[in-house]
Amino acid sequence: MKFLKSLVVVFLVMIPISAFGEKAKTIEELAAMYDSARCKECHAEIYARWENSHHARSLMGVQDGLMMTPLAIKGLTPFSPDDPAQATLATFPCFKCHLPQALVAADDAFAADYAKALVAQDKARVSKLRITCIVCHNTKAIIHRLSEGPPEADVLYGSKDVAAHDDEFFKKIKKGSIMDHAIMCGQCHGLGPNLEFENPVQCATLYGSYEHNYISKGGTQQCQECHMKKVDGFADHLIAPNWNDLEGTKKILLDTITMDVQTVGYDWLLKSKDWKPMVVVNTKINQNAGHRIPDG
Amino acid sequence: MTAKTADGKEVYKTERHYHTQATDCRTNKMLYGAQVKTQYIRDTALQPFETKAETFEIFLPAGVRTVDVTVSLRYEINKPANFIEIYKVERKVSLDR
Repeated sequence: MKFLKSLVVVFLVMIPISAFGEKAKTIEELAAMYDSARCKECHAEIYARWENSHHARSLMGVQDGLMMTPLAIKGLTPFSPDDPAQATLATFPCFKCHLPQALVAADDAFAADYAKALVAQDKARVSKLRITCIVCHNTKAIIHRLSEGPPEADVLYGSKDVAAHDDEFFKKIKKGSIMDHAIMCGQCHGLGPNLEFENPVQCATLYGSYEHNYISKGGTQQCQECHMKKVDGFADHLIAPNWNDLEGTKKILLDTITMDVQTVGYDWLLKSKDWKPMVVVNTKINQNAGHRIPDG
Repeated sequence: MTAKTADGKEVYKTERHYHTQATDCRTNKMLYGAQVKTQYIRDTALQPFETKAETFEIFLPAGVRTVDVTVSLRYEINKPANFIEIYKVERKVSLDR
């Protein structure tokens, strides 16, 4: 039986979801379907940076706050079910970005399992669900589906074509049309309210800020140019900031934001011989990001 | 931002908050949390290519001629007590020459 279990797990890991008929019903099943651990055999540097990224803990929230917990608890949000066992995929609109693979590869049983894990505050289980390599380099890699078709099951999409890719299932790399464009990130780091849900949800508005308040003022850089600069020759898949690393984040904020402070003290005169002792503090804050700060 | 006398007495304290502010459009109560927010009603965030300029005028109590001014720029994470202090500028400002 143990051997059989191992076989099933290995099978799940090896078969990409697009080739797999069944939908995931548990956290472990979905995590296994999108597991990218084998990528580190050849891409150790990139994988190591990604492992410390928020993409690698997309359901954990900033500083491991399990931000979706209110959705699983009765009465706390319009989406919350009476009982976590009644949760469905529709209970969690946040899956759209925080776990997009759930919408194509999991069913309502998974949502109920996830809801129960949230109520139990089971961080060990929830942390298995991640925005893995497969999510960005396959599932979310194509947005022009009418023109280019859906992502191919055996293809990963990157910054260049690679004829042969040494992997059991993703045997080719194709150049993705948007991998170096801001809209790749903008799919999730969004525009504003998501009105397609029965109740609107407004999370990140970073891409909206980028489009309407950075490009409009003459900005020309893509997200990747700042957030995925090369580290040791590879695009940085930490995609900083990492809010769990306060020192590293402070360094980024210092590089991005400047503050000038000017002070003066004098006796202010409004009417004859009625001086008022006054100190004036003038502050000027500037930032050089391609979006408002803060946003996400 | 604070101003204190030489013996540590605080004579001025104020804050400015730079971030988007949202409601669910059903009441005028500001809300946090993506699952309940619907629309921004105000945006005081730091914007690209823009300078956020402030002037603070501090009228000193009678007899106070010198204060220690502290300006702290912080990035709050989730709650006010959890923050990264980006800059802290301290100045002694005197009215006397």
